[in-house]
Amino acid sequence: MQTLVSAQELTKVYNRGVEEVRALDGVTFDLQKGDFVAITGASGAGKTTLLHLLGCMDIPTSGELLMNGQSTRGLSDSALTRMRREQVGFVFQHFGLLPTLTVMENMTLPALFSKRDAKESAKELLEKVGMTHRRNHRPNQLSGGEMQRVAIARALINCPQILLADEPTGNLDSVNGEAILQLFHQLNRDGLTIIVVTHNPTLANATQRQLVLRDGRLVP
Amino acid sequence: MLTLALNNLTRRRLRTALTLLGVAVSVGVLACLLAFGRGYEAGLGRELNNMGIQMMLVPLGCPYDAAARVLKGKTLDVSLPAESVKTVRKDSAVAIAAPMLMATLPRPSEGRTDLWVGVDESVRPLKPWWKMKEGSRWFPDANSVILGAEAAHAELREVGDTFFSPETGRKFTVCGVLERSGTSDDSQFFAPLATAQAMFHQPDRITAVAIRLKDPTLIGDASTRLQEVKGAQVVTMAEMMGTFLNLVGSVRTLVFAITVLALCISGLSVFNTMLSAVLERTRELGVLRAVGASRGQVFRLLAIEALLLTTIGSALGIVLALLAGRFVEMGVRLFVPLAPSETLLVLSREVIQQCFAVGIIVGLGAGLYPAWQASRLQPVEAIRVD
Repeated sequence: MQTLVSAQELTKVYNRGVEEVRALDGVTFDLQKGDFVAITGASGAGKTTLLHLLGCMDIPTSGELLMNGQSTRGLSDSALTRMRREQVGFVFQHFGLLPTLTVMENMTLPALFSKRDAKESAKELLEKVGMTHRRNHRPNQLSGGEMQRVAIARALINCPQILLADEPTGNLDSVNGEAILQLFHQLNRDGLTIIVVTHNPTLANATQRQLVLRDGRLVP
Repeated sequence: MLTLALNNLTRRRLRTALTLLGVAVSVGVLACLLAFGRGYEAGLGRELNNMGIQMMLVPLGCPYDAAARVLKGKTLDVSLPAESVKTVRKDSAVAIAAPMLMATLPRPSEGRTDLWVGVDESVRPLKPWWKMKEGSRWFPDANSVILGAEAAHAELREVGDTFFSPETGRKFTVCGVLERSGTSDDSQFFAPLATAQAMFHQPDRITAVAIRLKDPTLIGDASTRLQEVKGAQVVTMAEMMGTFLNLVGSVRTLVFAITVLALCISGLSVFNTMLSAVLERTRELGVLRAVGASRGQVFRLLAIEALLLTTIGSALGIVLALLAGRFVEMGVRLFVPLAPSETLLVLSREVIQQCFAVGIIVGLGAGLYPAWQASRLQPVEAIRVD
């Protein structure tokens, strides 16, 4: 098994005025290629902070994060951007689609920033998430479930090694939530490593492994 | 990236439209100002050159006002003795000295006032734009008249017609009609100098003498000598042009200052629009950073939006200047001294390029800070904003 993510004593401290908030406190774990993992815990436990660190959107206060064997410590902003662009796909709870762009344009945004032509892979992905018929629609013409499927397709357009999803079913009804879960299973079967932050027990129980956080620490 | 930027501008249509309007108006004013400066200077120079006049002898008073009034076919309250023409003609440097008497003739029955100009044949070389209609000839007798194109149209007269002027108690024969030249000559009645002097009870008086020199380089000495003519003063065309350009230049400087202010305000408007866009789209910009946009790419996106705003605004400004130019010119003509008959607003390619350059510089200047602010956003902080 290949270790894709290795977190070692990850700590993240925020300063909220004079108060110091320890969002993560010495979190250590490894993830293998092909894992489907849920990060769970109560609100404020540090789930989203951990996901942001894994997504190279933030840097730890201390500790080390190895992505595919490469440490993110001391990386410049442009190097972190490159990692976000090439190795990680991110799915937001609020979908994060740009209202002025069509489904197709939203999907191909990461490829635009990578300066590569992604028309063919975009078509394949649209088919995979069942959104081919909506390719020219704008987000305000889509349902919540459809928007989330577009967001997942966008996260996959640059063929990342890891898909990170922050409460991907949080804004969806149970039917659409189930559809997203099935999509994750399909992607995971295809070899994609998936990490989801969720409060949804159905989704959490459907994963291979759960990392439970409490007050910034992993519950053994 | 361009599509993305363009789409972003259409989100707040009213705000974008108002910003575009601000840029368009200030660039339009700038275009008119630059176009007017070039058009006026070139037109005035050409018109004075075409006349082939190097100087004018006018009655004492403001020489520039007097010369401008004579050149534009307006009367003066003061006059020169006709003898002064002889003095001028005696000067060795003078090639042509053309006396003119200008007087107005009220026509209450017609509801208008006619301008009569008494001339002799020496004026013809100084009016190179004069083209006579077929059948026309120079004054064959004292009661002949040559009509400008508009004057003939208003009087419904053709070459060979005779008419009685009840105001002067004279009967005239139309010996010539001028073709339309776009100058003040179009509306004037030209009569032999002696006839005009008699008609208006100005025996041995003239309004001015237009002078062409044998050699323009003799102007300094000739001017000094002719200043000695009693009751008269000399004004050279170069002095006139310089004075008018200075006068117009002062007004242009004032208008230019206002235009710069307008450009600054439109730049601030672009700045405000862009900064508001960054604040409104903080989360969205965070999403862009999260899905792989670099700081440079976010910066470029916002800079392109600012550039699009000012480029489209500048293009609208040019169109505005083209559309409104005619009306602006009509207004300007009322205020500038000795407005040339040809167009005053010359929107050349160079002027258009300069306006676009200014628009783009304003756009870049106004868009840089918001774009830099946007590029500094950390994805995680941006996404956290609700």
